[in-house]
Parts: sequence; structure tokens; C-alpha cells
Amino acid sequence: MTLPLLGRMALALSLSTAVLGPVAAHAETLSIWARASSSNAAQHMVDLWNASHDDKLELTTIPDNQMVTKLATSVQSGDVPDLISFDLIFMPDFMKAGFLTDLTETLGADPNQAKVAKAFQDLASYDGKLYGTGFTPDVSILLYNKDLFEAAGLDPEKPPVTIAELQDYAAKIHATDPDNISGYYFSGSCGGCNIFTQAPMMWGSGAVLLPTGPDTPVLDGPGVVEVLTMLKDMWEAGIIPESAESDTGANFTATFETGTVGMQGSGGFAISSLKANHPEMNFGIAPLPGIEDGQQSSFVGGDVIAIPSGARNAELAKDFITWSLTDEAQLEGLAKNLILPVRTDLADNEYFQAEPRYITTAQAVGIGQTPYAFHFNDMVNADQSPWLTMIQTAVFDGDVEGAIEEAREAFLDIASD
Amino acid sequence: MSAISQKSAPMARAQRYLVAAICVLVITLMLGPMVLSFFASIKTPAEASASPPNYLPHSLSGENYGKILDYQAGLSTYAGNSFLVAAIAIVLCLVLAVPAGYGLARFRLPFKELIFVLMLAPLMIPYQALLIPIYLNFSKIGLANSHLGLAIVHAVLQLPFSIYLMRNAFEAIPREIEEAALIDGATSFQVLRRIFLPLVMPGVVTVMLFTFINSWNEFLAALIFMNKESSFTVPIMLVSVRTGRLGAVDWGALQAGVIVSVLPCILIYVLLQKYYVSGFLNGAVK
Amino acid sequence: MAAIRNRHLGLIYVAPALLFVSAFVLYPLGQLVWLSLTDTSLLGGGTWVGLENYAEALDDRAFWRALWFTVKYTVVITPILMGLGFALALLTSQNTPLKLFTRATIFLPVVIGLGTSSLLWYWLLDQQVGLFNKILLDLGLVEAMPVWFTKADPALAAVIVSVTWKVVGFGMILFVAAIQSINSEVIEAAIIDGASYWQRVWRIIIPLSMRTLLLATLISAIGSMLAFEQFYIMTGGNPRGQTFTSVYLIYQNSFISFKLGYGAALSIILTAIILVFSALQVFLSNRSASE
Repeated sequence: MTLPLLGRMALALSLSTAVLGPVAAHAETLSIWARASSSNAAQHMVDLWNASHDDKLELTTIPDNQMVTKLATSVQSGDVPDLISFDLIFMPDFMKAGFLTDLTETLGADPNQAKVAKAFQDLASYDGKLYGTGFTPDVSILLYNKDLFEAAGLDPEKPPVTIAELQDYAAKIHATDPDNISGYYFSGSCGGCNIFTQAPMMWGSGAVLLPTGPDTPVLDGPGVVEVLTMLKDMWEAGIIPESAESDTGANFTATFETGTVGMQGSGGFAISSLKANHPEMNFGIAPLPGIEDGQQSSFVGGDVIAIPSGARNAELAKDFITWSLTDEAQLEGLAKNLILPVRTDLADNEYFQAEPRYITTAQAVGIGQTPYAFHFNDMVNADQSPWLTMIQTAVFDGDVEGAIEEAREAFLDIASD
Repeated sequence: MSAISQKSAPMARAQRYLVAAICVLVITLMLGPMVLSFFASIKTPAEASASPPNYLPHSLSGENYGKILDYQAGLSTYAGNSFLVAAIAIVLCLVLAVPAGYGLARFRLPFKELIFVLMLAPLMIPYQALLIPIYLNFSKIGLANSHLGLAIVHAVLQLPFSIYLMRNAFEAIPREIEEAALIDGATSFQVLRRIFLPLVMPGVVTVMLFTFINSWNEFLAALIFMNKESSFTVPIMLVSVRTGRLGAVDWGALQAGVIVSVLPCILIYVLLQKYYVSGFLNGAVK
Repeated sequence: MAAIRNRHLGLIYVAPALLFVSAFVLYPLGQLVWLSLTDTSLLGGGTWVGLENYAEALDDRAFWRALWFTVKYTVVITPILMGLGFALALLTSQNTPLKLFTRATIFLPVVIGLGTSSLLWYWLLDQQVGLFNKILLDLGLVEAMPVWFTKADPALAAVIVSVTWKVVGFGMILFVAAIQSINSEVIEAAIIDGASYWQRVWRIIIPLSMRTLLLATLISAIGSMLAFEQFYIMTGGNPRGQTFTSVYLIYQNSFISFKLGYGAALSIILTAIILVFSALQVFLSNRSASE
């Protein structure tokens, strides 16, 4: 099938304009902010875009825990970036505050948007409108040490599928060398780490954790009690190392890297860093277990991309967002650099073939969820948030019921603001 | 001390050795943390995160410093911004504090005590709380996102101490010197420039140093006021390095960042120590 | 002298600094007072609520707990800093090479940033990668690895150790200056009278350095009442929110919970407390000086 002559001429003409560049259009520079955790991925996307577009993007990295403050103050002062990539859990707060540009038209007409992981579609909707889309996802998984599995007589290809199994395996691993080997690890003073890694075990069985208003369910369902009790039992049995209690997340990855931890909830990012720092380590990746088999779940984290209200180059920024969902951007910008694509249909791609653990992780993005809540920062991420206090009181003080009761009150108190 | 106590020689010698031993212990305690941090910074990243840790690096590696050098916009950009902001802050501080110290020390002012207390006000307010109003005011007049704006905030933070120090330095100058000059018909400004400034130089150097150190290390205002990576300062980079993913720390890179952050301060201190301490001695005890 | 008597001349020299402070401190402070009477959020919007924020603060357990902790920190660390600073000043006040070098190293941490030093100690004290515990263990000072940040008191102790290392030189240098400015004849006379070293310290050196001591105490105490960075970096408020200082709480409310109005009210309360406390201290030290 040959193109008609006219078509070929038109194509040649358009190609040559593409090469020669636009005749009169003046190239713009767009500013994009990304938080430190996702800046590596964002940089790959920015580089890929800049290589093939006249309008250049300029990336600014903001420390994770300062992103919200920074965006809020910049909106107040009217000096905003054109694009912003931030932790998706802040979406509800920002949409409600009117900080973001409505992208319903742009994304509604885009066939790629439907393939974006559902968690991102949900979190970016408010009042029937869309304000952003997935950009650089991450997802929580169970990380386990295959060598320690073998040493404990467990099958390294059969990670636990229920929390009862998890507890049982952890005890067995710990028993191989009680002084040096821990069965399980978590960062006991880090709210963000634990919503990421412990919460999915709770909601796999349908539990609802965070309230969305004053009269909505909160910490509802047996999963909450069961998971907290499991952690408490493991703590009391010495299966979790003592250092877990004071870890504010600083050793979220360092502890597992020492090779003395059997299992730990972690994120997809751990694969790359483990392979880089400890190529000798024999580790496996699995979905986080639930109460019953088949209730495995995960927390979809990572970043959404959105356009702040009042951005100077909003139209160009929309072009970038549309482009970021194309096969080219998803595969060449993300997957090629071993970063998860946000489109679930691309989970199994040529770049991940060599490392099936990436495919497991990318598929988890599809089954995972993200709680839709206002004041998430206050409830979960803040130092000494009610969420963190609940975990600490339940696990380290051993008062599961009291901890849940106290957290319910505190959550509702925050939600009623 | 020219005192000679009435003790036997062996006793006195034992005492001297004891004092020397205490001095050596104190020196070890003071330098230890920095030395250990430096050793950690030249370990390989894997060894820097090892648990349990080693005191000395088993193999030398510049990898941690490489990370810091190339972090985002690059260390040179951040350091350049930090130096620029510190320089403006120093100029602001001196231009304001030297005359103010002179005025407070050598003139009879109405409401002198009140003025002095007002100048010390920034000491007593949690400045973190003032940042938001200041930032919003700055965005109205176009000072937000500028090095000048940030330097103004840093100067505000440093002003009370600077004025206090300059006032004491001026007060320490004997009256006769001034009177002789005034009899020769010099104006008060000439007295300040020709006679007093050389005399309060140690105090000026101390003000410069402290302003530099505090500006170089200030994080929160720098983060809130600056909107471009190309205008960020060193501490912002350090905090980014520290937070990592979900708080997971790259320990080696962090120590490299710590060393890079303290290096200019220590260099300046070592080079200007003579001034530094004498500025204190003249200024602080009155 | 006519020039010296001229009041307006003096004002001209003071004016720039006064204007600067008015524009960048007093005016924003006024705005802060106004903010504290509204329920403004960092996410925008806000209405006049009168004294509601203040009433809320008085009922706020977190506020009292943070204030109490801040006072506790100040009361514990100030004597340590002053006492140790003075002891080190006595140790190094003569200008022999060894003592000069000791003085220089003690002052060294003063010139690095508090944030940087907190990061350094945060690493040193870390349970897993830190060297501090290893040193204690290797020296045989402890039996098992202590965990610093799971109990409030060890966490406070850890912060105090790090801050002491960082700022003890500041007090020391002031005290060295004070000791060196004491007239040597007074000391000589005491020696001739047969006063022992400690008697001289107690009867001459301390009374004659009193002014400096009181001033350093005031500056140090105000600094401790406004402590933030060292706790933000080292403890994160852990364990269970028992190591939140007042400024930390203000930061949390304003920047993390977006409650600018409430954060402003807390700032005003804290500022008022510090003002009263400073005035009291100045008043008392003036009285003791006139006795």
C-alpha cells in the first residue's frame, strides 16, 4: 500500500518543517517541580521531552516533606510552576483548595488515560472533574530474603500469601539464629512507611482506614485489629529487631540490606537500589499478603502530575501531560530506565523481560489502591500523626484496642476540620 | 596567671600532667565526631550504610562526594547561591549594625533602652512563624524568589547579635580618643570612619563570620523563598539528600554533604581565628 | 561636646537599622497578631474568629505538653552549657599553646550550622549505622547497645549531648574573656592571703564574672526556648510526641496541618512567655548587680 503522491509530499513537507523547526513560534521554557523521591524518574521524562521538543522543561527538585508547604506558599504568592509532580495522596487537599487546573477536557479525550492505574484515576477526581494523572508510580510489595528462607527450611519461591503465614515464616526465620536474624522489619517511627507497607495488609480484607468526612467509616473492619495484633505478637516474641521502634524511616532500606532480615514491606524502588548496592543479595518480591489467600494488595504511591492554577504556560503543560502517557514516554522514559510505567497495559514490556521482579511490581500497581482522604498529611505523614501513634501504641505498648479507639477519635477530629 | 602556688614540685607536676591530660581528652571529644564523619564520607556507599559500622574505611571511595557534586543542579550552583546570599547578608548586616552600634554607644538618644530592646526583638520571636507574612509581603513587591529577599531575612536573623556586638565594641573605646578628634573639628562621621572603624575591626570581622555561618546554614527560609533549582542553596540539597524515599537515608552521601557544608565555615574560622576570638573578647564582656 | 549631645545626630545612625527591623520584623509581627485572630489556612481562605485560637491553645494538650517539654529542655541544658562552659573556660583561660589549641577546638563546632551538626549526630547516634554506641561498647562503658530514641529521656539526653558539643564553646569564649579581664592584682592579693585555687574561683572569679554569666544564661535560655532544628532532625518528636518543642509544634500546625491562624496564635503566646521571662531575668540580674 503506497501513499498517494500528494500525501507523501505533505509528509515530506511536514517532516522538513519539523527538522527546520517552527518558523515564527518562540520557544518557551516551562518549569516543573518534582519531589526528591521521584526526581530521578522525572528527570528521565524531562530529558526525553527536551530531546525532541523546542519548548524546554526545567526541573526543580523539592525535598519530599516540604512539597506541600512549597506549593501552598507559591500559590498564595501567585508564583507557581507550570507543572508539578507530587505525592498523589495530597491530591484531594489540593483539588479541594482550588490549587489545580481542571484537566477534564484534556484527559477525557485521551485514550491512554483509561489505561492509567485506577488508583491514580480515583485520586485525581474531585466533584466529577479530573485534575491530574499518574506520572511516576511506585507501589508497595513484600521484600524477602531467599537465602534466609532456605536456611529456615522454607521454599524461597513461595512467599507468604496470608498474614498468618507471614507470622509463621517470620518466626521460623528468626529461630534459625535468634541473636542475629530478624524475621520481619518495619520502620516503627515512620507514618508514611507504614501506611505504605502495613495498610494494604489491612484493607485487602475490605477494611476502611481513613475517614473522608465526620460521619464516614474509620478504621473499620477486622483487618485493622488482625494486622496490629500480628505485629504486636512478632514484636513481643523478638522477631522484629529492637531498632525498629525508633526508626523514623532512615533505615527503611539499610536494615534489609544487611542481610539479617527475613521479610519486610517495601516499595518497587528497592529492587534497583538492592541490585546496585548488593548485587550478591538473593531477594524476592511478592504482593503484600492479606487475611485470606487472594486478598493480596498494595499501596499505590508515587507521583501524580498536575498543573497549578495560574500557571503561565498551561497549554504547553497540557501537551506535556498528554505526551507523558504515550507509549514512547512510558517505555523510553520510564521502563527503559527500570522505572514502573503508570499505564498498567505496559506492565509487561521488553525492558522488564530480563528482570521478572519488575513485572510483579508493575502488575501490583494495577491491583493496588490509595486511600482518598483530606488532611492525609495530618492523619498519616506528620511526625507523631494519629496513624503512627496507633501503630506504636498497639505494637510497642501492646494495647491494640485502646490504640485503635484513640486513633478513631483523632482521625474524626482532623476530618471534621 | 602569674600565680605560683605554695605546693611541692612533684605535686605541681602531677597537676600539670592532669590538666594536660584533660585538655587532650577534651580535644578528642570535640574533634572526634567531625573526624568520624569525614571517614564515613570517604567509604563506599555500601560500607557507609553497613550495620554494624566500621570506624575506618576499608576502601577509599569518592563516590559519596560524586553524588553530592552532581546532585540535581550540581553542588557548584548551590554553593554559588549560598555564597552570594551570605555576601549580601553580610553587607546588609554591617551597613546596618555598625552605625547602629555607634549611635547606641556614643550618643545620647531619646528612648535609648527602648530602641535597643526593639533591635533585639527578632531574638525572641520564633522566626519560622514570621516567614509566611514576610514571604507574602515580598511577593507583593517582587522580592520573593530573589537572592536579595533571602539575604534580607538572613540579615534580620543576625541583626540583634550584630548590633549588640558592635555597640559593645564602640563602648569599649576610651572617651579621650574621640574628644581629641572632635577638638580638631572632625564631624561625627569622620570620627567613625577614620578613628573608630579601625578600632572595632575585630568586632566587624566577628559579625561577618557569624552572618556568614548562619546564612550558609539556614534552610527553611531558603526553601520557602526560592522557586528555582538554579537558585537553591546548599542546605536544601542536604535536606533532599537526607529525606530520600520515605525517609530512607543514603548515609554516605549524607556525611559527604555534612563535610561539604562545614568545610567553608571551618576554613574561614581557622584563617581568621585571631580576629574572631578578639572580636568576641572586645565585644562580649561589658 | 556639642556633636555628642546632639540627639538627632545619634538617631540618624540608628535609623537605618530601626527602619529595617520595623519593616521586616515588627510589621510582619503585626500581621502575625492579625493572623492569630483568624482561622486562615495555608490552603487559602480565612475568617475573623477573635480570640478563639487562644482559647483553643489553652485547651490543647499538645500545646501544654510541648511547652512543658521546652521548659524542661531549657532548665536541663542551660546549667549544663553554663557550668561546662565555665569549667572549660577555667581550664583554658591561660594562653599556653596547649590551652589555646584546646580552646580553639572547643569553639570549632560553634562555627558549623545547628542543622548540620544535628545531622551529624543523628548519624552518630543511629542504632544501626552509628558509631557512638560502638565506641561506648568498645570502651566497655555499656553492656548492650543503648537505643537513644525510643524513650523520651534518652532521646532528650541524646539531643542535649549533641547540642552541648555544638554550642558549649560559645559560653566558654565569653567566660574566658571575662576571666582574662579580671585584674591580676586582685588574684595576686588573694594568693598572698593563702587562698587556695578553688577558693579564688569561688570568691573572686565567679563574682567578678557574674554579669557575663547572667547575660550568657539569658541568651542561652532564650535560644533553648526557641529550639526546633535539633529536635526536628534528631527525634522527629519521637517517641509518641514526647519530644515536641513549642516551635516544632508551631511549625507542624502552620506548615503540615496548614493551620496558619492557630500557628500564629501559638507563636504569639510563646513570644509573650519569652518576653516576660527575659524581663524577669533582666530585672533580677539588675537587682543582684546592685546588691
